[in-house]
Amino acid sequence: MAEFSWSPRSPLDHALVTGAHGVRDIEAGISLTEIRNFDLIQVMARRGKAAELANAAKGRFGVAAPNAPKAVQSQDATLIWSGPDQFFVLSKGGKHTMGTLAPALSGPASLSDQSHARALISISGAKARTMLAKLSSIDVHPAEFPVGAAAATSMDHTSVTLWRGGDRPDGQAVFNLLVFATFAESLWHTMLDAAAEYGVEIAHSEWLA
Amino acid sequence: MRIACPFCGERELGEFTYLGDAKPVRPAAGASEDEVFDYVYLRDNVAGETSEHWYHGGGCRAWLKVGRNTLTHEISSVEPAAGAGARQAAK
Repeated sequence: MAEFSWSPRSPLDHALVTGAHGVRDIEAGISLTEIRNFDLIQVMARRGKAAELANAAKGRFGVAAPNAPKAVQSQDATLIWSGPDQFFVLSKGGKHTMGTLAPALSGPASLSDQSHARALISISGAKARTMLAKLSSIDVHPAEFPVGAAAATSMDHTSVTLWRGGDRPDGQAVFNLLVFATFAESLWHTMLDAAAEYGVEIAHSEWLA
Repeated sequence: MRIACPFCGERELGEFTYLGDAKPVRPAAGASEDEVFDYVYLRDNVAGETSEHWYHGGGCRAWLKVGRNTLTHEISSVEPAAGAGARQAAK
């Protein structure tokens, strides 16, 4: 019998080429960074158990899970609203996995591991909003989409979860985007096309913004 | 046309899919063949206020019940469909 060796790799492993893209003779207006090797668990309240889940989540994370389109930062995880009575738990380093979350949350909620089912892309830079405006119908003006705002929406006919993370040290806004793994490459190319005229700096990282 | 999703806020039509008339109610188990035929096949072609099911598939994936005027496309009401979200949208 043949021996198989499975090694996880990013959905953007093939498409992502680090370095500069698009216009080169100006300072890059867009930074696109793929975040790799994260833990992502979808938590969905069982019927009639939303209040119980809210209590269990508060106990587990120390902060209230979002019950409206928002992203909430706990000490070691980001809780992102993904629909009515459901949210994502995004973390690094095995702190919040199926194994560790199930004992606390599987009573009032269904859990599903999405760690390898999504790609996570972080968008920032002076022209980030201008580029997003080409792809999204969400109003990302600072007054309408402040730090912690989130949206379940579509870009280029592809479902995405978009939220605003903490600002970069230089004050620039950071937009994080979760997209289905099999759609990631397509959306990535669309984003490169949309961003090319502003100059793009492409990277990948192991660290959550 | 925009639909104000009770969970997400106002969104463009492209994020939604139309299912159909929200008025028909499934007949009881012992209902006559005519009643079942009516429920499965017969639809009113209303010029004016209708109640419809829409799916926010490009967003929060909730089913919605939308009141819409077929003459003006004006949307008069949007609420979660029965069973959509275990509780009402957070205001």
